[in-house]
Amino acid sequence: MARLRPSAPALALLPALALLPVLITVLAALHDGGVEIWTAFLSAAVHPSLDPVLLKALFSALQVTLAMALAGWSLSLVLGVLLGCCASERLMQTWHWPTWPATILRRSLALPRSVHELIWGLLLLQVLGLHPWVAVAAITIPYAALVARVWRDQLEALDPTRLQALLKGGAPPLAACFTALSPAMGTVLMSYGGYRLECALRSATLLGVFGLGGLGTDLQLSLQSLQFRELWSGLWLLGGVSVLLETLLTLWRRRSPEAKAGQRRLGLFLVFVIGAGIAGGLWLQVLLPDSGSVVWQGMGWPDWRRLTQAAADLPWLRLIVETLLLTVLAAGIAIGLPPLAIVMAPSRLWQIMLNAVWALVRLIPPPLTVLLLLLSNRPTLAIGALALGLHNGGVMGRLLREELEQQSVHQQQAMHASGASARLSWLYGLFTPRSSGYLAYGAYRTDVILRETVVVGLIGGSGLGWQLLESLSSFHWDAVLVLVGAYALITLLGEWLSDRCRTRWLQS
Amino acid sequence: MPSRERGAATLLALFLCQGLSVLPSIAKPALRVGAIPDQNPERLNRLYGQLADELSERLKVTVRYVPVSNYPATVSAFRTGGLDLVWFGGLTGVQARLQTPGAKVLAQRDIDARFRSVFIANTAADLQPIQSINGLTSLRGKRFTFGSESSTSGRLMPQHFLAKAGVSPSQFSGGRAGFSGSHDATIALVQSGAYQAGALNEQVWTSALKQGRVNTDKVTVIWRTPEYVDYHWVARPDLDQHFGSGFTTRLQRAILAIQPSTPRQTTILELFAAKRFIPADSSQYKAIETVGRELGKIR
Repeated sequence: MARLRPSAPALALLPALALLPVLITVLAALHDGGVEIWTAFLSAAVHPSLDPVLLKALFSALQVTLAMALAGWSLSLVLGVLLGCCASERLMQTWHWPTWPATILRRSLALPRSVHELIWGLLLLQVLGLHPWVAVAAITIPYAALVARVWRDQLEALDPTRLQALLKGGAPPLAACFTALSPAMGTVLMSYGGYRLECALRSATLLGVFGLGGLGTDLQLSLQSLQFRELWSGLWLLGGVSVLLETLLTLWRRRSPEAKAGQRRLGLFLVFVIGAGIAGGLWLQVLLPDSGSVVWQGMGWPDWRRLTQAAADLPWLRLIVETLLLTVLAAGIAIGLPPLAIVMAPSRLWQIMLNAVWALVRLIPPPLTVLLLLLSNRPTLAIGALALGLHNGGVMGRLLREELEQQSVHQQQAMHASGASARLSWLYGLFTPRSSGYLAYGAYRTDVILRETVVVGLIGGSGLGWQLLESLSSFHWDAVLVLVGAYALITLLGEWLSDRCRTRWLQS
Repeated sequence: MPSRERGAATLLALFLCQGLSVLPSIAKPALRVGAIPDQNPERLNRLYGQLADELSERLKVTVRYVPVSNYPATVSAFRTGGLDLVWFGGLTGVQARLQTPGAKVLAQRDIDARFRSVFIANTAADLQPIQSINGLTSLRGKRFTFGSESSTSGRLMPQHFLAKAGVSPSQFSGGRAGFSGSHDATIALVQSGAYQAGALNEQVWTSALKQGRVNTDKVTVIWRTPEYVDYHWVARPDLDQHFGSGFTTRLQRAILAIQPSTPRQTTILELFAAKRFIPADSSQYKAIETVGRELGKIR
């Protein structure tokens, strides 16, 4: 008997099942107590504060965030590409060098990658002090490791025949690599690199929410004190910049690269990356002239006995179960909701509205969403999952749109013309051919969500994330170290799992 | 060298040069003033803008306000020298001084020597006003929220009094207390009914009442805690080295000299909700330290 195997579109829609328990919990706990505050919040959206003092402060905070994002992005891209090359067994073989250092490097890069930039930020803050470069470093470390991984995977995945042919023909290894690999890798660098810039802007904002300066700090302070009009001034400002950035990047990606123009574009991109790093660094220096120097303030080595004591004090089972539950529910919402929302009404107007919604939810840092949702609800894990799911759903929604734009509409039109409903022809004509790629992105997003659970831990104090922030605020270093270790371990396991799922889905 | 390679080398050199910007700037040192984020940012910016001008004029140094949105970050920034003078809460001040040996307590407000928290409850939660501390047991099984996890008046002292009455956070509904993140958020979350009860800084509650930001049909005070000491100004130990000998003393005098005599000084005191600043001593905060250790917030 043939094994029952779900088709790819079903697989992409199935995660939306996570909405069921979440919505049941959330709707059951819904109450009208927050109506006044929600009204105030929504009406503030159209009446943001235009106080010149506030706007000036927000504008300079926005510049700090942008400068941090640019500097962190540039550094991480350069470092990531270098590390990625060093971690590539294929490149090592080209030079006839042993491949084991590359393997070791590749495996050890998993560690910086598995820790969320927020945790890096909070840890670096402890040893380096409150300095704008702390945020830059916090973005650079995990991002560089991520870029290195993608770069290395792409290098290994390339068809090696051209490279081998050039080498056999007697070309020196460096020239051979550039000639054989640069066209394909240039495209990877430009599209993936551009995408990282958006991520860097989101991360820089989030780091601000946790006190590392910039616009996030102002947003968090405004929300905490329920100054919605001030909050919206900041949100509109951030929204404007993000939408502008995303539009520019999409335009950049869409222009089809020809062979010759492609090389020029690659050069232009490299100049831009390096220029962004320099500009970001100088910009920070100008914006915050007296932030002093970065001084390493060592913390002393933890001793084993105290570490084990700290580990024994923590309620591991509860922490881990909560973290995993949060991840699974949030990932389900993030992956399943975007296609489900389109399937419900595949009309042009609805899609435009959806895009606006996705833009909004990926803009607002999740801790802010949690507090807003909580105002008319009860503190449950579901609220955290919903906030995290919606935020990442915003990212997935945009990815889905871009995937679908690359798909020709012929199949959909043919199905529609032969009498299928708009919904079905969208599902089978447009979505199905793209669903496995979308799912692969989804698997990767799940890793991100697992790392991000740290940012919504606050509600009802759930999961490892909350425990980590509590230990940090008690300056209980042993517990902090143990928890970061646990986080890294779970993330690595999750990554391994999602990698396996991705390979399977991409093959099917 | 072909021009393209030269170009690449120049770019690379420029890129590596950006590391130089991390080097200490040669600019004159500025006094960096910070505060734990217990108020709205607009108020914080206004308050510390005025205060920076006042101190700058009196002390003849550049004074800059550095906003920080989270309590432990303020403590770390003070320890690592990113902030020179900080308006700390009771707990964060003790944490900061333990981590920064030699840091000096400069002053507190007149109200800080006798500070209180209030426990508030949603009127639909069926909670009666509490007469004595043992009445706190009625909070068992309710949804309860603190403010920020490092707040003295929004977490530490309320949790301490709850513990005295034999109530632990695990006895609240859901097996733990929530953390709203700020005093204002606690009011909003209890008023909306998300939580049935909560605890916060009495001064924030009073000013929210005065400004009409509270719907008293929906949320009321059920208990005022006994008095304890809270907020204080703490200065880093190395200020005299950076700004000249005797600077810390001059700084302390400048803070204590803020009286409602000029419009700016009046505004500062108003925003601080104080009549004046009074001298303070680290020994006053011993009790806070003991409570902090009991609850695991100080190690």
